[in-house]
Amino acid sequence: MIAYLIAVGIIALIYMLLTIGLNLQYGYTGLINFGVVAFFAIGAYTSALLTLGGWPLVPAFVVAIIVAAIVAYPIGLLSLRLSDDYLAVVTLGFSEVVRLAIQQERWLTHGVQGLPGIPRMFLSLGIGDYAELATLAVLVLCNLAAIGLMLHLVRSPYGRLIQAIRDDEVAVEAIGKDPRRLKVQVFMLGSGLAGLAGAFYAHFITYLSPDQFLPLVTFYVWIAMIIGGTGRTTGAVAGSLILMVFLEGSRFARDWIPSVSEVQMASVRLALVGLALILFTIYRPQGMMGSRR
Amino acid sequence: MSQRITRRDVLKASASLAAASALPRFAFAQSAGTFRIGTLCPITGAGSPYGSGMQKAIEIGVAEVNGAGGAGGRKLELFNEDGQTKPDAAVLAAKKLIEVNKVQAIFGTWSSGVTLAVMPLTDAAGIIEMNCSGAPAISTLDTKDLVWRFQATNDRFGAAFAVIAEKRGWKRPATMAFNNASGIGNAEGFKKAWEKKGGRVVASVVYEPNRPSYRTELQQILAAKPDVIVTGSYVPDSTIILREWYQSGQDVKWILPGWAANPDLVKALGNEVVEGLISVDSVSNENAASYKALDAAYQKATGKPVSTNVYASMCYDMVMCIALAMEAAGPNATVAQVNAKIREVANPDGTQVYSFSEGKKLLSEKKKINYEGASSKLDFDQYGDVTPDFGVFVIEKGQLVRHDVVAI
Amino acid sequence: MTLVDLCNLLINGTIEGLLIALPALALTLVMGVARFPNAATGDYMTVAAYAGIGVQAWGAASIFLAGLGAIAAGAAISIIFYLWVFRALRGRAPVASLVASIGVAFFARSMLTLFVGHDQQTFNLPLVRAWNFGGVRLLPTDLYVAALALIAMALLFALLHLTPIGRQMRAIADNPDLARACGIRSGRVLLSLWAVVGALCALGGMMFGVKAVVSPELGWELLIPAFAAMILGGIGSPIGAVVGAVLLGIASELSVPFVGPSYKIAVAFLLLLLVLLLRPRGLFGKAILSR
Repeated sequence: MIAYLIAVGIIALIYMLLTIGLNLQYGYTGLINFGVVAFFAIGAYTSALLTLGGWPLVPAFVVAIIVAAIVAYPIGLLSLRLSDDYLAVVTLGFSEVVRLAIQQERWLTHGVQGLPGIPRMFLSLGIGDYAELATLAVLVLCNLAAIGLMLHLVRSPYGRLIQAIRDDEVAVEAIGKDPRRLKVQVFMLGSGLAGLAGAFYAHFITYLSPDQFLPLVTFYVWIAMIIGGTGRTTGAVAGSLILMVFLEGSRFARDWIPSVSEVQMASVRLALVGLALILFTIYRPQGMMGSRR
Repeated sequence: MSQRITRRDVLKASASLAAASALPRFAFAQSAGTFRIGTLCPITGAGSPYGSGMQKAIEIGVAEVNGAGGAGGRKLELFNEDGQTKPDAAVLAAKKLIEVNKVQAIFGTWSSGVTLAVMPLTDAAGIIEMNCSGAPAISTLDTKDLVWRFQATNDRFGAAFAVIAEKRGWKRPATMAFNNASGIGNAEGFKKAWEKKGGRVVASVVYEPNRPSYRTELQQILAAKPDVIVTGSYVPDSTIILREWYQSGQDVKWILPGWAANPDLVKALGNEVVEGLISVDSVSNENAASYKALDAAYQKATGKPVSTNVYASMCYDMVMCIALAMEAAGPNATVAQVNAKIREVANPDGTQVYSFSEGKKLLSEKKKINYEGASSKLDFDQYGDVTPDFGVFVIEKGQLVRHDVVAI
Repeated sequence: MTLVDLCNLLINGTIEGLLIALPALALTLVMGVARFPNAATGDYMTVAAYAGIGVQAWGAASIFLAGLGAIAAGAAISIIFYLWVFRALRGRAPVASLVASIGVAFFARSMLTLFVGHDQQTFNLPLVRAWNFGGVRLLPTDLYVAALALIAMALLFALLHLTPIGRQMRAIADNPDLARACGIRSGRVLLSLWAVVGALCALGGMMFGVKAVVSPELGWELLIPAFAAMILGGIGSPIGAVVGAVLLGIASELSVPFVGPSYKIAVAFLLLLLVLLLRPRGLFGKAILSR
């Protein structure tokens, strides 16, 4: 049971990193990024390919963050030219292009055959079952660091500017600050977090293939953020935990109601996620933790 | 504008954390005298056309074994989970099966991605994994010989296609492959085998799933004037491609894998379009009494003949294999002891048996048996892969008629 | 590439584009009047296509009746979700409605699979051979699909420009406050808008089902191309949605000989990006329902 909970916890914390990154982009600056999964995928493949090529884990993780952030740069520039809805679709399309590229460039990524045998974290320490506990601990630390970074940003003069952009871009410009640079930086920062999440994912699942990076992942992250409450650090935490309870809890719900078949349960699970989204947006728009938007 | 975490926030967050962790905290009843099997069939996702049938077939097999008094003095107990055709979801489901339900075997992983992601977990836990995946990598990554593959690898399918094309005297083959590991595996397996025979593939295309039309892809292939098109495809895309080919009016022959060219495809397209189409599948014992029993039970459960779902008969065979191995290993055998008996009960050099009760009886008389499965003759090589013979079925007036058998 | 190949590619691209054009129109109408990207559009198509299959399975062999059934179902589901969800979210940030529409999409699809399962379905239609003009192949079914799409578009434009309710829709799209000040009752207008949107989705779903196969993921998979078509044409512009869809269809088919069938989807996005860099509001941008 404990090992299962640890596994669920690891996935929840990976989603939490993604949600914190998106929260930074949308919750604070109003950037509508529907391409979260692209940066997640880039981080995952970068770290996986480097470690399979013999790199140690730590530098591979760092490079994964950097590559995801660098790829975000041109998209961030683009976001300056486009209004919200256009940006949403462009980022969504971008994530599909990334997935297609992973699928097609077989010399690098093995395409649809996927990358098996990605090294697990802490395996070399020889601590057996504790390796996953250690992974969980590192993820908790990373999430805390991400939250800390975010709070620091929000409270700094820089962060006030970021929020000011969201509320009134023209006013920011009027006081002589360049909101454009800030926006791009925030976009890169959030994408770097997604890259880090991807690296953790790669070394936990140990097998990567392009079909793990469908837009559905992006939607799940949005769901976590909306349910938790946008623009709130605690919102990202609560949202990703609630999402996991929904996705995993239904397994146990079925063990209790045996008359429902797996096929029906799969439908019921998706229906519940859908229903939760509908009801949350109608009756609790501020999310679980209250919203700043 | 600045944000502070208030005490209320912390309270709210910890409350939801508590709610999150409280949910899975039930105790699960585990009867000591059973052998616990987890299933991870692809109920949803890309494998959903097959997944629920696979699970049904496992349930049918378990009912049969338990009805015959269990195996090795134990009954089988099932725990079903949805693999979702998604590696990450399957990893969590497998963790749950292993850690919470304490299963001793996991059955029915379908997509190679799911199998490749679940394998390290089952190997680490020292339990048996039985799958229907085609990717060659599975053979080499199984370090403990606990992974058993009931589906012929895509390489072998491709090689069988090549033998068939050669036998029929075709000279200009082309390939069309669905863009996933299995589709490309089939097409490339064919190409490898065909070029080894000194032939040349005149055109090949890999196409994307979920398109409304494959005319452009088909046009590329047909432009090379092939005499036969070999595919690695599934039912929905085959439906669209064959319909558009028929409408184009160009004369060419088709070889499809059995999971695509099945009664569902015939139903979707009508007899005229699929007339003469060649469907290749591992040979099943459709004349054995056990297959007929499975077919009847499957029809009752799903309303369809079991021939519509090749993976269902493979899943049924998983149960039979493990049950016979348990019987051979004797009461209270460990997972490793059961695992060690699998080749012994399934591979040649024993009396051929077609059902569990038949095998159980012979085993009790201390005789050697060779289980012949519903999906194939089921002989495992050193990698735990089956090496089936392939049946060549030609669709005639809407019926799949077996013409010959190919061994590679 | 010969001229014949080129013609065939053009035909394929146009037909695929016209298939996308209907959901793109539905998207752009909602975008223009109700002002949010409706991610449930695809699943309305799926539900309607299944309704069509249901009508046929019920014994009515006629594809025409199946189509009517689908349109009724499409309009019904669209109105139900408007009354239940999107009406309650009016006046809130578009992203709220967008996220709710993802919820609607999940909910509608899961209710569908709960009752009909995951098997693929096909419409019962006699198959006819293509007409062959010296290598250029034209399918009669494709002609019907194209004709139907064009008729639907013509009807939509007539509705928008020739009827009072259409004029009111355009007025709300142009300036909701002014429209209210002029005494336009937006509730009634929105109800008809959602009925029209549902009907468009249903027609798109039916045509897709006739051409390909009906499966639970049918519409969901079309969503991204439809979004792209809407954006390329410019949000809120019906003409733009149609032109955008056909352009993307043709561009991606024409690219197949050069980049292969997998990257053709990426080529569509590249085109989209290029256009947006030059015209950030798309080809017919800002012309919200006014032309």
